[in-house]
Amino acid sequence: MSANAVIEIAGLVKSYGKFPALNGLDLTVDQGQVHGFLGPNGSGKSTTIRVLLGLLRADGGTVRLLGGDPWKDVVELHRRLAYVPGDVSLWPGMTGGEAIDLLGALRGGLNEKRRAELVDRFELDPTKRGRQYSKGNRQKVAIVAALASDVELLILDEPTSGLDPLMENIFLEVIAEAKQRGTTVLLSSHILAEVESLADRLSIIRDGRIVETGTLTELRGHTRTSIHAVLQRIPPEDEMDAFRDVRLDGAKLTGTVDSNRIGEAMSFLAPYGIQSLTVEPPSLESLFLRLYETDTPAAATS
Amino acid sequence: MSTMLAGAAPLLRTTLKHDGRRFAPWIVIVTFLSTSSVLVYPWIFPSQQDRAGLAAAVGGNPAVGLIFGPAFDLSTTDGFNAWRSLALGGFMTALGAIFVLTRATRGQEDSGQAELLASGVLGRASRLLVGIGLALIGSLALGVIASVLTGLSGGDWPSSLLLGATFTATGWMFAAVAAVTAQIGSDSRTANSIAVGVLGVLFLLRGFAYSIQAPDWTVWINPLGWMTQTHPGTGNHWWPLGYALALTLVLTTIAFTLQSRRDFGQGAIAPRPGPARGKDRSTWRLAVRLNGGPIIAWTVAFLALGLVFGYFATSINDILGNDSNVSQMLAAGATTPDALIAAFIVTILSLVGIIAAIPGVQIMLKLRTEEMEDRVELVIATKVRRVRFYASNVILALAAPTLFLLIAGVLIATLASAADIGVDFGDAVLQTVATVPAVWTIIAVSIAVVGARPQVSLAAWVGVLSSFVLTLLGPSFKLWDSVLAFSPFWHVPNVTNSDADVWGLLWITLVTALFLVVGFIGFRRRDLAR
Repeated sequence: MSANAVIEIAGLVKSYGKFPALNGLDLTVDQGQVHGFLGPNGSGKSTTIRVLLGLLRADGGTVRLLGGDPWKDVVELHRRLAYVPGDVSLWPGMTGGEAIDLLGALRGGLNEKRRAELVDRFELDPTKRGRQYSKGNRQKVAIVAALASDVELLILDEPTSGLDPLMENIFLEVIAEAKQRGTTVLLSSHILAEVESLADRLSIIRDGRIVETGTLTELRGHTRTSIHAVLQRIPPEDEMDAFRDVRLDGAKLTGTVDSNRIGEAMSFLAPYGIQSLTVEPPSLESLFLRLYETDTPAAATS
Repeated sequence: MSTMLAGAAPLLRTTLKHDGRRFAPWIVIVTFLSTSSVLVYPWIFPSQQDRAGLAAAVGGNPAVGLIFGPAFDLSTTDGFNAWRSLALGGFMTALGAIFVLTRATRGQEDSGQAELLASGVLGRASRLLVGIGLALIGSLALGVIASVLTGLSGGDWPSSLLLGATFTATGWMFAAVAAVTAQIGSDSRTANSIAVGVLGVLFLLRGFAYSIQAPDWTVWINPLGWMTQTHPGTGNHWWPLGYALALTLVLTTIAFTLQSRRDFGQGAIAPRPGPARGKDRSTWRLAVRLNGGPIIAWTVAFLALGLVFGYFATSINDILGNDSNVSQMLAAGATTPDALIAAFIVTILSLVGIIAAIPGVQIMLKLRTEEMEDRVELVIATKVRRVRFYASNVILALAAPTLFLLIAGVLIATLASAADIGVDFGDAVLQTVATVPAVWTIIAVSIAVVGARPQVSLAAWVGVLSSFVLTLLGPSFKLWDSVLAFSPFWHVPNVTNSDADVWGLLWITLVTALFLVVGFIGFRRRDLAR
């Protein structure tokens, strides 16, 4: 594990009664990184985050956060981090502005200039009461409260759920700015696009353990490029080693190619007279689908 | 009309299945109250002499009459059951009806469930109708079960059935009250508080009206007075129940009218914009803020309680003088007026203390609600220590009831000492202070429960409930001292006794400390929101 890791989790186990939520989760997030934490609903993302925040107690494994123990060193650690929950619940009778100030004060102070700027950019009406806000607006309150303080680590649990596309863009900008300041970000999500544009590294969780982890390029390495071609002559099927899942419909060919064999595939096709060619770059979507569609955990591929 | 009520029938069936069992605890408590009187009375008070002794004791301590209402005839088992169960049984049924109804109407709007339902094929009035239906059916079931089991336990059938009918009728009237308050309050907590407040005020006024032998009309304008006027076991009048039916109908009509005029999820009072910046910057301020409304309401309630009980104390000589059994005891030299009055002050302050513990337990349970709604998570994710956060709430839960008890105690002391009945102001205030540790003990039960085992949050009420049962019901059961000693109020010394023993207070304070330790360690070590 690297020396400047902000989050280091090894073999984390947590069960609710008999239901195992996490079984042997490993996760490392380095300083200054935006780390995407991807997984479908109920895969254990929120449980991991709650263990990191010291809200839940780990049943087994080791967890280090900013060099401390998240269960024992709560106060010291929480001074240095901010958190946005996935489903924000606000005090029904308290205005958004009051909630931001309360949470800021409890964290040890707010950056007043940034607070004003964020309220403005997210077009948040701070005079409404908790019970009057829509889901997206409650989310904005929590985002402003978290980002208005100067912290080393941001823990964001599906922060954009409920935000409209315009606000989602602003959110991505704001996170990019935080990264510029050197803030480490753990960003959990089940939406790939959001993570894809921001994250330096990704970890994919399934059934309480990490099944894939790496940089975007590394993860893309595991995925295949899809090719659609219309040819003049029909190639012999038994010579198409470079392709996978080939389907020939007359002279129309569709198939996928491993990233390291694209050149080989092109050289193979060229002699057959390419009339039209579409090459789709590997998307994480396909990786995502591949990992989740199989019934057995795909740990073997990583 | 048919489209207004579309979907009500299937919704009522489902609601009965899922929420119907919420009525079960109330059915058990009330049935136990009524059947136990019938089963136990002939055994503990077998002879007419014993029963006359009980009548004297009841007459000698009017504080007991405030809660139970008048004892018309304690010479028969059914008369005893009517005295012991009618007021309390009706009160419990009404509480059950209020909670079930508010939950099924306003509570669902708060949680968003109702939105899901309302978007289905459901008439505008259906949800309220289902809530009312649930409360009516629950109260009816309670009345039937309690009266049949009381009859089977040996109660006289006409009296037992009438007694059960008063439970049902009380439940129905307060279901209707809650149907109205659910339209007025803007969330379920407010709606519940208003309805329970109405119930509490009417309940005390009834006890008060009978105890000071106020003019008849003060009984007849009080819906709970109608229940007592049925005289189960002594007169068996069924006709006052007709008034209860009429009131239920009128209030229900008002509730439907109000509901058709308001917007979904809103109360009668529209919210206004609030401050854009906040002043509350600590966990203590947060705790005060979240409980501010109820604390103000309870302060007003205890001002009223102090005045009522204080005024009551001033007329104690008349009340005692009117009771022939008490006069005989005094004439025989078995007791002195001063001793009776001192015992009365002790009892009434214990009663105020038990009531004052209720808001304390509520503050602790509010914390649990906050936790389950994921708002504690937001706070604990900042640099706040768990122990500190818990302490803010615990201090408030102990301090607010102390304040309430002192308010009522000082008022009682002021009024009683001014009335020349032999009560010294200083003694009465000192007695109030001596009651405080017992109040802390029963609140500490809820502190331990919320801290260590919040899954069984009902257990938070164990202290309040058992103190109430032991302090007020215990003597009528002739329980042994070793059992009565479970109530911390049993250990409160009578400060006018020269040999008053303070050791009891030290012991219960030790118990309080133990509960606090359990609560704090539990809250520090457990998973949140589980």
